[in-house]
Amino acid sequence: MTETPADDGGAQPESGEDPATERDPATEQPPAIDRPSVLVPLAVLEGESLPNGTPELLANAHVVLLGYHAIPEQTAAEQAREQFGETAMSKLDEFADRLAAAGAEVETRLVFTHDEEITIDRLIYEYGCLAVLVPNSTECVDSVFVALRGTVGVGRNTRLVAGLFADGGVDVTLYHALDEGETPDDGESFLNGVKADLVERGIAPDRIETLVEDADASIDAIAGRAESHDAVVMGETDPSVTTFVFGMPSEQVAERFLGPVLVVQRERPEE
Amino acid sequence: MDDSAPPEGSGPSNATGSGTDASPAGVEVPDAVADVVDADTGEGELERTIGLVGGLAIGVGTMIGAGIFVFPGLAAENAGPAASLSFAIGAVIALLVALPASELATAMPRSGGGYFFISRGLGSAAGAIVGIGLWLGLVFASAFYLVGLGSYAGQVFLEAGIALPIDPAIPLGVAFGVGLTALSLFGTENTAALQNGIVILLLVILTLFLSYGSLDALGVFGAESTPERFFPPGGALPVLQTAALVFTSYLGFAQVATVAGDITEPSRNLPLAMVGSVLLVGVFYVVTIFVATSAFGSVRLGEFGETAMVEVARSFVGLPGALAIVVAGLLATFSSANASILSASRAVYAVSRDGIIPEDASRLNLAYGTPHVALGLAGGPIVVLAATGQVALLAEVASFLHLVMYGLICVALIQLRRERPPWYAPSFRCPAGFAVAAVGGLASFALIAFMQLASIAVGAAVMLAAYGWYRYYGTDVELKGDF
Repeated sequence: MTETPADDGGAQPESGEDPATERDPATEQPPAIDRPSVLVPLAVLEGESLPNGTPELLANAHVVLLGYHAIPEQTAAEQAREQFGETAMSKLDEFADRLAAAGAEVETRLVFTHDEEITIDRLIYEYGCLAVLVPNSTECVDSVFVALRGTVGVGRNTRLVAGLFADGGVDVTLYHALDEGETPDDGESFLNGVKADLVERGIAPDRIETLVEDADASIDAIAGRAESHDAVVMGETDPSVTTFVFGMPSEQVAERFLGPVLVVQRERPEE
Repeated sequence: MDDSAPPEGSGPSNATGSGTDASPAGVEVPDAVADVVDADTGEGELERTIGLVGGLAIGVGTMIGAGIFVFPGLAAENAGPAASLSFAIGAVIALLVALPASELATAMPRSGGGYFFISRGLGSAAGAIVGIGLWLGLVFASAFYLVGLGSYAGQVFLEAGIALPIDPAIPLGVAFGVGLTALSLFGTENTAALQNGIVILLLVILTLFLSYGSLDALGVFGAESTPERFFPPGGALPVLQTAALVFTSYLGFAQVATVAGDITEPSRNLPLAMVGSVLLVGVFYVVTIFVATSAFGSVRLGEFGETAMVEVARSFVGLPGALAIVVAGLLATFSSANASILSASRAVYAVSRDGIIPEDASRLNLAYGTPHVALGLAGGPIVVLAATGQVALLAEVASFLHLVMYGLICVALIQLRRERPPWYAPSFRCPAGFAVAAVGGLASFALIAFMQLASIAVGAAVMLAAYGWYRYYGTDVELKGDF
């Protein structure tokens, strides 16, 4: 836990913002800026474990590790906790240790629920999570594919990408599928703006590529393009559909891509 | 009434006293008790997922199957048009119990409902009798709903013009019992959403049907209502006896309390769901009897038996009406039976958690996450009882066992308000608590006296057996105030 995540990269401006001295789980304030909060939901008792590559992917994150157990309605939540609570907690602690060993800041929560979507949504609010991870495994984390829809909420994408990968070693590909009535030039200038923002946040310019495409089915395009990368960052589905965390597109991408997908969450309204 | 003043005054300060432990902010936290139950104590936290609509649907869905789709024929045969009064009496008693139960439920928002309140308020012996009684009461109730479900399924064959050599109600009821138990064993996703949908559909069909029927009975469509004396020849006695019989139609509100551990904002949603569902179904029952007895004479209704409402609907709008009621009856008795089987398994869990019966009874099966032993302990006897086909006896024994619990819930409220243990901090307080609980308790016990002798004998035997089991197995269990 006390190990600083930035290793031999050298020139990172980490000295001024090193949160290592105040890693107290009770103070939730500092990681919101430097370390992006990422929710990692795992169905612990259904054999879901922390996939390979996740600790490396989230080494710079403030990880909210959610172990959940979805129980059928005919079972009381208390009943399940009584029987499975200890087993689930020890598994979860094991995963938390692995994440922490890689450098992440970890908080664990174990929840017995009849509806995991309610639980995941509640925790996103509670921790102000920037993104939710669809936990799939990857061998290594060398290049990341970032699909950007438009200017709305793009700041959250850049905060996440910069926060996770600013300490070097990872190639970032910014991707935008053109909307109707948008010219390739519009797309280029949009991505260049994002790139400038990322550079300002500490990512080396030569590590960032941009890619604009006129694709009809953006899901197919994203899944296809992502195949040559190790992880995907993309936004939530449709801002009008509020509660579904794994909205259809990101779910479909995750199913076909088979690697980890970070689903960037919309700004949640104040409660 | 005067007695209720001191606890009213000291209650809130008591509540905030223990509430501030949980909330450093110091503001009033209505669900402080629930938060403590849900919080992570090293084994994970609990998510509450049933809202007000879900709670109402559990209450209404459990109750409405019996009162509207099984009892009207039987009730009218016994008490004539005054059967609506019998249903009204039931509603009043249920309300008098629902209010104290709401207070207890907000103080103890845990799974187990009435059993939990009584074992904590009155001690293990009373708790054991009620807990085992609640399990078997729900078993009897489920068997009763299954026979009703079988009757409606049999009606489908009749409407389709298929002649069967035997009355199919009982075999079909048994088959449904086996099917429902299997369904609940092997996991049912989204049964809550299904239940909500069924209840809403039912309420729509019934509202249309009863509105039409009421207008018809009042002569709007020019049809003649059947003029009949309101009171039956026997006077008030058959009305009270019928009230005892049909009280099974009001058992569902307590099922809301058995899932109290899963209800969001329990301080608000528990009382609203319990009281609201009783009021809602009570109105529907009274109007149903009014409509039914205006369409046919009580004797005719009695001859139609469990599916009398199908004939009433047929007399209004012909075959489409009859079919609509057959469908509604299938849905309603199905959801009642299903809800009762699940509640019975929760009752088994509650007593086994406390060590009154062996703990193995509440084992969960990891593959499906369902309590297979408890479901078996519910489903097995249900199927056997459904095979007897004794509708009135099954209903009355179910009511008997529930009424004992209701009476003791009222006693527990009085006891806890007098003792004022430090953990007792309900966020909902029953208005005029002592008076309501005293009347509700007395009325619950009194209603038992109007049942058939056979029902009383079976019910008493079950209670005795439960007490015997407690003396044999659970005397070292101390539950009073264990919270």
